Amino acid sequence: MKSKTEAKRLAILNAASAVFREVGFERASMSDIRARIGGSKATLYNYFPSKEKLFFEVMHQAKTHELEEAVGILRPEADDLKQELLRFGQRFLTVLYSPEAIAIRHLTIAESRRSDSGKLSFERAVVPVEKQVAEFLKKAMKRGQLRTADAKIAAIHLLSLLESELLQRVLLGVLDSVTPEVISGAVRRAVEVFLSGYQRR
Amino acid sequence: MQVKKSDIKRQAILETAYRLFRAQGFDKTSMAKITAQVGGSKATVYSHFPSKEELFVECMMAALENYMSGTLKHLDASRTDPRLALLNFGSSVLNFICSPEQLEVRRLIIAEAARSGTGKLFFDKITALRAQLSAFLTACMASGSLRRSDPELAAEQLGAMLEAEMLEPLLLQVREDSPDERETARAAKHAVDAFLRAYAPRGRQALQLKQCPN
Repeated sequence: MKSKTEAKRLAILNAASAVFREVGFERASMSDIRARIGGSKATLYNYFPSKEKLFFEVMHQAKTHELEEAVGILRPEADDLKQELLRFGQRFLTVLYSPEAIAIRHLTIAESRRSDSGKLSFERAVVPVEKQVAEFLKKAMKRGQLRTADAKIAAIHLLSLLESELLQRVLLGVLDSVTPEVISGAVRRAVEVFLSGYQRR
Repeated sequence: MQVKKSDIKRQAILETAYRLFRAQGFDKTSMAKITAQVGGSKATVYSHFPSKEELFVECMMAALENYMSGTLKHLDASRTDPRLALLNFGSSVLNFICSPEQLEVRRLIIAEAARSGTGKLFFDKITALRAQLSAFLTACMASGSLRRSDPELAAEQLGAMLEAEMLEPLLLQVREDSPDERETARAAKHAVDAFLRAYAPRGRQALQLKQCPN
C-alpha cells in the first residue's frame, strides 16, 4: 500500500518538475500537472495541498540529487587527498549555498516543528552525504593518508568545517550572495584545518 | 544591594515579550499587546526598547548571553590547562543549546531573521559572544599552547565542530529526546581533540593529548 502511494507521489513530482521547467513556476498550474498524470484534482491536492508545497518538494528533490553528485566526485583512488577534498568542498558548497538551497533550508528549519520536512531533509540529504563522505575518509585512513579515527565523526567534522564560515551568516541573512570566491576561500581554510586535525603524525 | 525599579520593569518586559513571541511568533505580537500584559504605558516600553525588532533580539538572546557569560568566565588561559578548559566549556555550551527551549528559540530566530530584518542584530550579538572565545584562543596562541593563526577563524571553526554532532538532528526534530551529559561530553571531546590537533604548535604533537589518552 505504502509503495503504491509513494509511486504516485513520485509521478506527481516528476510531472511537476517537468511543468515547472517548461513554463516556470508562475505560469504552471495544478491543472497542467494533473493533466500529465491523470486522476482527479482531489487526489493531487491530497498529496500536495498547494503549488508552493509541490514546488518546495521538487526543488528539494533536485538539490538532494545535486548533493549526491557532489559527493560522487570524491575518488578514493586519487593520490592527492587535499586536491580531492578541495574539489569536493567547492562543489558541495556551491550546491548547498545556491539561493534555492538556502531558501529550502530556511523553510525546513522554520517548519520542522509543524511538519516532518526536517526529518525528511535529514534522512534524504544529510544522512547519505555523511555516510558517503565517511566511507571515502575511511579508505583514506586505510591507505595511510589520514590517521586512524572514527570515520563518521571525521566526516561530520569535515562537513561542519566546510560550512563554518557560511552557515550562520547565511541563515541570519547577513551574507546574501555566496560567490565562488567566498566559497573557495572558505573551502581552502576548512580543508587545511581538517587535514592538520586528521593527518598522521 | 537595591535593585533599581527600571531594571525590574525591563526584566518584566523581556519576560512578557519572550512568552508572547514564542507563543504567537513575531508578526502577531505587537508592542501594544506586550504593553497591555506588562502594564504601564507604551512610552515606557519604548524607553527600554526602541523597536519591536530590538526587543525580539534582546529577549531571544537574554538566556544565551547570561549562560555564556557565566561559562566563558571559566576560560582563563593563564590558570587552566587549555584542553580541560575547552572540554568544560564545550560540554557546558552543548548542554545549554541542546535544551528543548533553546532549540525552539533557535528555530524562531532563524525563521524570523531573514523576514523581519533581525538577522544582523542577532549576528552582532553572537559575534560579541564569540569574541570572548577568540580572546581565550589568542592567549593560548601567545603562550605557545596553540600555533599562531587567526583566532576569530579558529573560534568559528571550534564552534562549528562542537555543534556538528548534536545540533542538526535536534534542530530538525529528527531526534526528540535531549542528549544526556555523557553524550554532550563525548561530542565535545571529539571536537576539542580534533581542534587541538589541528592547531597544535608546528613541529610538536598536541601535548595536551598525551596527558589524557582516549
